[in-house]
Amino acid sequence: MNMTFTPLTPNFAAEVSGIDLTRPLTAEQVKAIDDGMDRWGVLVFHDQHFDDETQLAFSRNFGALEISSGAELSKPEDNRLRPEMADISNLDVQSKLRGADDKKRLGALGNRLWHSDASFRAVPAKYSLLSARIVPPTGGNTEFADMRAAYDALDDATKAEIEDLITEHSNAFSRELIGFPKAAYGAEFQDKLRPVRHRLVRYDDRTQRKSLYLSAHIGEIVGWPVPEARAYIRDLMEHATQRAFVFAHRWKVWDLVIWDNRTTMHRARRYNDLTEVRDMRRSTIRGEAMTVQQAAE
Amino acid sequence: MLIQPIQPGFVGLVTDVDICQPLTARQVAQIEGGMDSFAVLAFPNQPVTDEQQVAFSANFGELEIPLAAQMMAPEKRRFQKLELGDISNFDGKNTDKLRDRDDSRRMYALANRLWHSDASFRAVGAGYTLLHSRVNPTKGGNTEFADMRAAYDALDSKTKALVDDMIVGHSIVYSREQIGFEVKGDGNPDNLKPVKHRLVVTHPVTGRKSLYLSSHIGEIEGWLIPEARAFLRDLTEHATQPQFVYSHKWEVNDMVMWDNRTVMHRATRFDDLNERRDLRRTSLKGVGLGIDSVPVRQAAE
Repeated sequence: MNMTFTPLTPNFAAEVSGIDLTRPLTAEQVKAIDDGMDRWGVLVFHDQHFDDETQLAFSRNFGALEISSGAELSKPEDNRLRPEMADISNLDVQSKLRGADDKKRLGALGNRLWHSDASFRAVPAKYSLLSARIVPPTGGNTEFADMRAAYDALDDATKAEIEDLITEHSNAFSRELIGFPKAAYGAEFQDKLRPVRHRLVRYDDRTQRKSLYLSAHIGEIVGWPVPEARAYIRDLMEHATQRAFVFAHRWKVWDLVIWDNRTTMHRARRYNDLTEVRDMRRSTIRGEAMTVQQAAE
Repeated sequence: MLIQPIQPGFVGLVTDVDICQPLTARQVAQIEGGMDSFAVLAFPNQPVTDEQQVAFSANFGELEIPLAAQMMAPEKRRFQKLELGDISNFDGKNTDKLRDRDDSRRMYALANRLWHSDASFRAVGAGYTLLHSRVNPTKGGNTEFADMRAAYDALDSKTKALVDDMIVGHSIVYSREQIGFEVKGDGNPDNLKPVKHRLVVTHPVTGRKSLYLSSHIGEIEGWLIPEARAFLRDLTEHATQPQFVYSHKWEVNDMVMWDNRTVMHRATRFDDLNERRDLRRTSLKGVGLGIDSVPVRQAAE
């Protein structure tokens, strides 16, 4: 059986068939997926019957695993899954639906803003791998936006203006946007919310392409007054998430979707999360370097 | 007077009228009719003075005093006429100097780049706003308008049912907070208290429903704040899709008027540290915006 890549939009996101990811892969297969990620940014695989064990084993083909920020920002006894597995569900530790005013639920609403996973880390995420275990009957799509196409489509004056801009990212900034206060994380976790710096324009050696490194976690541009920075980032966000750059994924049980956080943004869409279960599990591959060190190229 | 569509059903171009002169009752009625069928009207080549702008505006209702003027010390105001809103990047009365990068008036005004409806943070929001262009930058500084009637009509029936009786809280603090600017209100805390409006309003003349959205909204009655804000973002994104939007590129002496009850608008960026932009605004108190004055959704729907 051979892997086949079928484009989901002309230049962004592809569906991959002809492979069972729950079994050990050959080096050639891993390379084909890596190349596919470079080419398409997002890959969709159907009917991949993962459990947490096989998902983590598959994920390790692409690099070291991150500890999920959800696990880092909460007490171990409050977590349903192991720390390498980000719990993208509306279930509590007893696998019951979270109540309306559950703090984790309110914080997770920030995922409805366009973002790049773990952009609030000094070394931010490379790939995210999201496995659908239970999906609601309507809503709950994940949308992806192509940050390479968004960069390419900027006019020359804007490209010149942003080329060397450094931004500050923190999980607290994105939550603040929806009125979830920083203090609500608890005193013991404030240290994890300290902003980190990244380049706004990233360059990828493998593909020799530039991309906009945007994320709801951005709260400042170094050297700019805050309101001016935020208004500008909003404008860039709007440009970068135009329909032409967006692919919306409608989940089926056992889908696995991989995206490259260096070249894409994504967001979750609304569903009836107080009455319907959505259980998705994410493993995340660490990036290789800090983005600010690319400066001198 | 001739009114032709620029964007059918939304924006009209008005020619063959001199609005520097007093209008006849018939002309006023014609313009009001145009506002009802379009919601935005553009009058090119109208070299009105401040006095003439105020006189023209008064044809359509009771003029508002802008909040910024209310909150500013009298000696700092650029215009002595309180009804005139200063939509420029000048350093107050000193029109030769542009505002500094970290000038708090500049920070406050940056929130005009978010989609909003004028004065929706007041118990009675604005009806018409009239904006007159005196100086334009070489690039940027457009005003964009979004049709909240079309946006309402395009909602699916489930969302319409969800929003039809929704009550939301508006405050100037909320829009400024979104870009990280804290409004202090200088001894006038009443101006900052959230006011309640219906999210869906019915136009008193046309009977059409529209989404009364604005970046000044920060809460939905009965909803948790983060859930409300995430929902309002989704709704605003829906309501400002390209098919509902008209972008106006200003020419000197353009007068543009719009109905804040059915239209959101925003300014687009320009090089405001180096280029001059001077527009003057008048606004009228809205009619038909109060929670009580709007009939509750009819049972037949």
